[in-house]
Amino acid sequence: MDELLQYIITGLTVGMVYALIALGFVFVWKSSGVANLALGQLVLISSWFTYGMLVQVGLPAWIGLLLVIIFAMALGWITERFVLRPLIAQPILSLITITLGLAYLIEGLVNFIWPKSVAALPHIFPQQTIHIGTAVVSMEYLLAALISLVLFILLSLYFRYNRMGIAMRATADDQLAVQACGIPVTKIFSRSWMFACVLAAIGGVLMSSIGGITYGLVHTGLKAFSVVILGGLDSFLGAIIAGPIIGLAENVGGGYLTPLTWPGVKDVIPFIIIIIVMFLKPYGLFGEERIERI
Amino acid sequence: MDLPSGIRNYTYDRDMAIFRTKTHWSMLLILFVILGTLPLYLDNHWLSVANLIGITIIAATGLNILIGYCGQLSIGHAGFIAVGAYTSAVLTNRLELPFLVGLISAGLLSGFIGVVFGIPSVRVKGFYLAISTIAAQIIIIWIINHWESVTGGFNGIVVPPAKIAGITFVSQGSQFYLIIGIAILVIFFAKNLARTRVGRAFIAIRDNDLAAEVMGINLFRYKLLAFFIGCFLAGIAGSLLAHWIGFMNTENFRLTESILYVGIIIIGGLGSTIGPILGVVFIRLLEKGISFLAPTLESTFDLPAGFTTGIGPMVFGIVIILFLILEPRGLAHRWQLFKASYRLWPFSY
Repeated sequence: MDELLQYIITGLTVGMVYALIALGFVFVWKSSGVANLALGQLVLISSWFTYGMLVQVGLPAWIGLLLVIIFAMALGWITERFVLRPLIAQPILSLITITLGLAYLIEGLVNFIWPKSVAALPHIFPQQTIHIGTAVVSMEYLLAALISLVLFILLSLYFRYNRMGIAMRATADDQLAVQACGIPVTKIFSRSWMFACVLAAIGGVLMSSIGGITYGLVHTGLKAFSVVILGGLDSFLGAIIAGPIIGLAENVGGGYLTPLTWPGVKDVIPFIIIIIVMFLKPYGLFGEERIERI
Repeated sequence: MDLPSGIRNYTYDRDMAIFRTKTHWSMLLILFVILGTLPLYLDNHWLSVANLIGITIIAATGLNILIGYCGQLSIGHAGFIAVGAYTSAVLTNRLELPFLVGLISAGLLSGFIGVVFGIPSVRVKGFYLAISTIAAQIIIIWIINHWESVTGGFNGIVVPPAKIAGITFVSQGSQFYLIIGIAILVIFFAKNLARTRVGRAFIAIRDNDLAAEVMGINLFRYKLLAFFIGCFLAGIAGSLLAHWIGFMNTENFRLTESILYVGIIIIGGLGSTIGPILGVVFIRLLEKGISFLAPTLESTFDLPAGFTTGIGPMVFGIVIILFLILEPRGLAHRWQLFKASYRLWPFSY
């Protein structure tokens, strides 16, 4: 019973971070209809950049993290401007495969600049542990979840009240109508990519400050896809609710299934969930079912 | 359109033939002679490159049927190749069955697993399908890595060389004939498949699946058939790969390899027979060139240590992105343009 509580708390907190990364995907998908399969690599490169700033250059944490945010925004802008803008109005197949090319490119860059495969970030968060009931949880997890929660609230406020946020929602609804209203759609696209990259970067920093930087961060990005699929591709609420569900399933399932099956089952559960969702309810919990016409 | 002027067809058979003129036939003959004598003047190293190209052509042709003709995006191709490789390895190593049994069952098992993971394609497409095939790849590799009693797990498995009717294919030269022979069969099959009812149904599904369904094409059957054929060829390629390398572990089947396959057929040109061939030759030779040049460049210009490992993926990524932006129809389209201009030369109007 003790371990169940432990699994639940770890699962919920990690799930919040997944949801954060997944939100970046939903942004891009809703505004420009591009499926960003380079999510894992975006998480990877921002974590390594954090390592470069904090450890290799040796900056204090707050300057370093600020630079990471700026780097992520620049990355998002460059990606949209030079990779995706030439492909506006191309078939979905090209839009998906070009993000795969991007994934390849980023992975090469990471190998090129940071040839080691494993590194540890300095501790950004305090190291104490907290006892909740019988479970022992480290502050890092709780803070990660807290930061994610604060970001969710900020983002939803942004979309509710900020002019740009409203314009982004309008673009998601109808691109042509938005253009007719005089809103620069390309600017919205590049804004949504910047958001996606920043969220991936924050998610990456949170994950790697807990578990260190490994190639596994790419899988963290891939797990965000299972959040997106379970929650529904075009639903912010879906991503926020599905994130903790995936985290829970991963940790509780991993905890109890590992003795029954093989080690590492924890990392496969999100992908098994993807397959199950595909069979049962392919548009996810909150996704809008697209009805096509010929 | 594809023929020089002055060629007339008097029968339907002649109109449908792949090789129509004497030039076609003589070029085919020259190609066969070159391929047949290739082991005589290539050393082992280049023969191994040729073998890798042959194996990749088989797998890429399968993926091209799935993506290029039927429009079902699959990013788990390396996973299906792994299924084929391990099926063949387990059957020939642990059960000591003949190579041909391993080869066929590798194709069949791979095909069936492809069908299982392809079932979502009946309801979803595009990104959803891409994600479910990525999931398929990760689940397959996880099972292979941990089902140690059968697959050897992380330690890998030794694969005996291929053997047909008393002939053992050990040297690169003999394996070249085996691999190229199967590759030619596969290309011939793919070329003809595209012209049958099945192939035209695939193209209709790619262009608009709802319209295809209204016209009486059974979507369920044809989409799954496309998955079966694509993954069957992946399994065949995997089996050949296993017997060619002689040792298997899952390092050969990473997710990046799947992405590379999608890149190969994008670069080659979707939905054409020649496309995957051009794409594979281009990518594998590029890979070869990079692995040849990178260490030299690194030592002469005193570049950082990650240059050699990082430059390959970087170049592939850039090539995929550039092709999608500048020439989305791939090398096959360039090849068509070249043929058209050469046929009309010097009077292009």
